[in-house]
Amino acid sequence: MRVFDELDLEARPLLGAALATLALCGAVALGSRGGRWLDPALLGYLLATLFACFGVTYRYFSWIERPATRMYFRHTLRTLFSPRAIKALPRMALLTLDQIVLQRFIEKRSIKRWGAHALLAWGCLLGFAVTIPLVFGWVRFTSEGLDATRYQAWVLGFPAGSFPLDSFIAFCSFHVLDLAAVMVIAGCVLSLIRRKQDEGDSATQRFDLDLLPLVLLIAVSMTGLLLTASEKWLQGRNFATLSFLHELTVILLLLGLPFGKLFHVVQRPAQVGVTIYKAEGEREGRLPCKGCGAPFIRANQRRDLEALWAVLELDGARHSASVHHLDLCPRCKRRLVAKAQGERLHGAFDPFATVPVYAEPISDPISMKS
Amino acid sequence: MVPQDYGFFIDPQRCIGCRSCVGACAECGTHRGRSMIHLDEMDRFDSPQTVPTVCMHCEDPICAQVCPSDAIKRSEDGVVHAAQKPRCIGCQNCELSCPFGVPIVFSGLEQMLKCDLCYDRTSEGHKPMCATVCPSQALLFVRKDEVANLRHNKPLRDFLIGSVRVKTKNAIMVPDPDTPLHLDAALLIDGGL
Repeated sequence: MRVFDELDLEARPLLGAALATLALCGAVALGSRGGRWLDPALLGYLLATLFACFGVTYRYFSWIERPATRMYFRHTLRTLFSPRAIKALPRMALLTLDQIVLQRFIEKRSIKRWGAHALLAWGCLLGFAVTIPLVFGWVRFTSEGLDATRYQAWVLGFPAGSFPLDSFIAFCSFHVLDLAAVMVIAGCVLSLIRRKQDEGDSATQRFDLDLLPLVLLIAVSMTGLLLTASEKWLQGRNFATLSFLHELTVILLLLGLPFGKLFHVVQRPAQVGVTIYKAEGEREGRLPCKGCGAPFIRANQRRDLEALWAVLELDGARHSASVHHLDLCPRCKRRLVAKAQGERLHGAFDPFATVPVYAEPISDPISMKS
Repeated sequence: MVPQDYGFFIDPQRCIGCRSCVGACAECGTHRGRSMIHLDEMDRFDSPQTVPTVCMHCEDPICAQVCPSDAIKRSEDGVVHAAQKPRCIGCQNCELSCPFGVPIVFSGLEQMLKCDLCYDRTSEGHKPMCATVCPSQALLFVRKDEVANLRHNKPLRDFLIGSVRVKTKNAIMVPDPDTPLHLDAALLIDGGL
């Protein structure tokens, strides 16, 4: 246990991550027929994927243990395991299509951002969809018997059809990763251009969090494309070096997956649960502000936020037994600050008793620099 | 990095409601086209008084504590940034929990935006847009040692809501800054609570 203390690891996420990684090991063992179908050339990828699984699951469990996250996570679980699930599931499917698959909320933020993100996201997902079954030994290709002109596909150790090497299916199978690489490179380049042009992003971005993932994705895709180029046009020249570089970049990407920006891929589905939560709150109705009387907060969110504030030791934020700070709408909270300041200045707020306003000269009102 | 010898000093009593800050705020690069400053009428029926509100940049921001996706971060210079775009899921916890009513969640975009002290400007040594254009200096961004020469009142960064203390980076101007400013809802509600 002292080791855990020194590493600052939490017990429950650790257990969850260990179980998930063991389950994945089991699935790999089963799918690859006890490891028989594992490709030795892909073992480095396999180990990095298992590490990424452990890291991502650990961070996920740590994340859902945060009080605010737990509030929504529990609500989503309750919805899924209740009779309401039958009603909620079709809506969840539609929301998943809209928010996760088509990512239309990003389109509303900015069409440029959406274009770059769609290329990047779909390129990555396509790449992983192809490589993960190959790395896990779930899918494999061999020559069909002694016929070197045909390829045999195997899924989970069972034959799943064969095709001639010069067919369209073969072309697609061999080049689907090239397509994914081109999509990812295009998405990354567009993102980098947008980041360069956007003053806000330029000011707030961090190299390790925002730029490094893009650089790594470009490196993975470029080395992948160079492997195809080497095989197609350079008679396999430098194939081994390129193969090593590609493996290195992919492993670095996988090792960084739990720590960096790409973790948002597993966080994003929470948006579907939140949308369902908000829709349920709308049905329950909105409570009026105790300052101005205008309805503003959904009843379910008011209840849950009060409980959350108590967990966060903010329960003392009450103005009286019946008025919590959460009972004031944002506008009344803003007015309250001015009222309190007015009272401090004049004893009670009197708009006509304000001190005369003098615009005192300041050396340079435009810039601090000069 | 915002220079630490500079501070934002807010004096709602000086606001003349010209809305210059509202227009200027929308020019900020981090939320271009959307104004993040709030300009509220205090009590429209009785008074012409208006109240400008920018983020107070709390030391331990409640908006960040209640964020389920851990999207709200405070940088080393004390600036609390708008929710990170890849993480924000638009739940509105921050909007409803902020003690000063600052964040705005844009539904559809599933994105919270808020005043981030014009980080693209202040991190490069310029003033925030609102403070640059405010004619009555209700929004004042100057060196901390300069403010004593400009105002009779003094900066206060300590607020009390019930028994909860909220300490902030930005200051509000009061005569006696040693006592926290008590945000008591009885001030808003006719006839008290």
